[in-house]
Amino acid sequence: MSAPLLKIDGISKRFGGNQAVKETSFHVDSGEILGLIGPNGAGKTTAFNMIAGYLESDTGDIQLNEKSIKGKKPWDICKAGIARTFQLSKPFGDLSVLENIMVGGFVRSADRRIIETKAREVVVFLGMEAIIDQDALNLTAFDRRKLELGRALATEPKLLLMDEVVAGATPNEASEMVELVKNIRDRGVSILIVEHVMHVIMNLSDRVIVLDSGNLIADGNPEEVVNDPEVMKAYFGEKYVQQQST
Amino acid sequence: MFGTATPLERGLIIIGFLCLLVLPFVITNPYHIHTATMIVYFAFMAASWNFVCGYLGQLSLGHSVFSGVAGYVTVLMFTQLGISPWIGMLFGGLLAAVLSVAIGSLTFRLKGPYFTLTTIAFAEIMRIWFENTDNFIGIPLKGSEGLVVPLVGDSWWAFQFNDKTPYYYIALGLLLMIVLATIMLEKSKLGYYLKAIRGDQDGAEALGINPTKYSLIALSISAFFTGIGGAFFAQFFRYINPERNMGIDMSIDMAIMAIIGGQGTVLGPILGAFILHPIAEITRTTLGGSFLGLHLVIYGTVLALTVLYFPQGIIVPLRRILARISGRAKK
Repeated sequence: MSAPLLKIDGISKRFGGNQAVKETSFHVDSGEILGLIGPNGAGKTTAFNMIAGYLESDTGDIQLNEKSIKGKKPWDICKAGIARTFQLSKPFGDLSVLENIMVGGFVRSADRRIIETKAREVVVFLGMEAIIDQDALNLTAFDRRKLELGRALATEPKLLLMDEVVAGATPNEASEMVELVKNIRDRGVSILIVEHVMHVIMNLSDRVIVLDSGNLIADGNPEEVVNDPEVMKAYFGEKYVQQQST
Repeated sequence: MFGTATPLERGLIIIGFLCLLVLPFVITNPYHIHTATMIVYFAFMAASWNFVCGYLGQLSLGHSVFSGVAGYVTVLMFTQLGISPWIGMLFGGLLAAVLSVAIGSLTFRLKGPYFTLTTIAFAEIMRIWFENTDNFIGIPLKGSEGLVVPLVGDSWWAFQFNDKTPYYYIALGLLLMIVLATIMLEKSKLGYYLKAIRGDQDGAEALGINPTKYSLIALSISAFFTGIGGAFFAQFFRYINPERNMGIDMSIDMAIMAIIGGQGTVLGPILGAFILHPIAEITRTTLGGSFLGLHLVIYGTVLALTVLYFPQGIIVPLRRILARISGRAKK
């Protein structure tokens, strides 16, 4: 078996008295969509921020293609091949949709023409041709999300970290996003996705891991994981699990 | 902004520049030429400030320190070593750029008002130090008294002219330089990166941008130009002192002109200088004698009104009007 694309080995983060993530290990395989779920406060975003370099893990190691990226800065991690999106998308004002996406391209090339051609491809991929020259601040919330995704794609990542991409989206928009994410994976990008909307996670993920109070409590295919008593306990409480089993 | 300029706007810009070019042939009164030179000089300074602060969205009120330091370097190199101010100017600009990296690497850790306050603190520390230092390791700074550039007479080498017109053209050349530099910035990776950092710093970092690094690059270029301006100022008056060349008044002027005109645009800061300096000059000369302080009231009122009604700068509504005119012309 080949080594995983991203290997997380015992990372932890403590904020004062709060152990947000505790000695957690998991991995992302090449070409995989890995769903990361867990109740509020489970440490999902903290784990995310440690991988993307916004927080440094107190323990353990993080390896991309068997090279340690722990302790590196966000911009170096981006150069190493990990892109991310945020829960809250803020487009860069005074730049058009195309120019916003071009910002991501400068990390791979210095040639403006190459960057622009590639950015145009991303615009077509996202289906945003009609608004390509619009100022990014005038976009709807969902277009902002797509734009952020486009910026991330322009950095030509091997791994894409997505944080709650369908939060606040209409059902139509959510299914459009699901298709987009699948298409991105088909372009050869592995994806680690944090999401609260269960049907999106069930639909998308090849594999799901569950965090609860900083601990990894399940790892498996989506159907297995949602029926796992530990996971149900984390989401619905002890009583619910007991009722189900009687 | 040149890239999106309509033909009408382009025409107006060219006509405006041609007017500036022939101005000294039309007006001959030395006082008027002097005022015109000051307007162009302030436009240059505001545009230099805009190069980093406008595009990065950070308010620096300490830019005068670069102007002052470079001015002193130029004057001292001339008086002490006999080096032409043209070379001194470049050295001064480079030293200002180095100084800006030292100051910037400390202040860029802070955002918003905290950044602004530390830039003021650094500039004021330098000004007070200059004001109270007569002699620094053998270099005569002469404290608050300031330094006089000895009169040599009409000489390009010594950057001294009996007539005001050469100064005017030098200032105009500097202005042209910063305009071209800003146009290049807008098209470059640096320009995109600055706007990205201004929009969302975390988001920018995720796209491979090291905010401190690119902020410092832009700041050092801005400081270099500001330093050149400071050297020009010292040569123009043949005199330099900490209060005028390094004081907070100059920093505030640079920032306000850029903000009123439209920061983060190529021509906004220049527009700001062309509007505000004449207002300041006219109110000062007509009212300064009879109603002491009234000119400041009028100046302040203009500022308050523009900030209230055109928060993005005067250039935004102006361009909208021009777009409407050219739209009507097409029909």
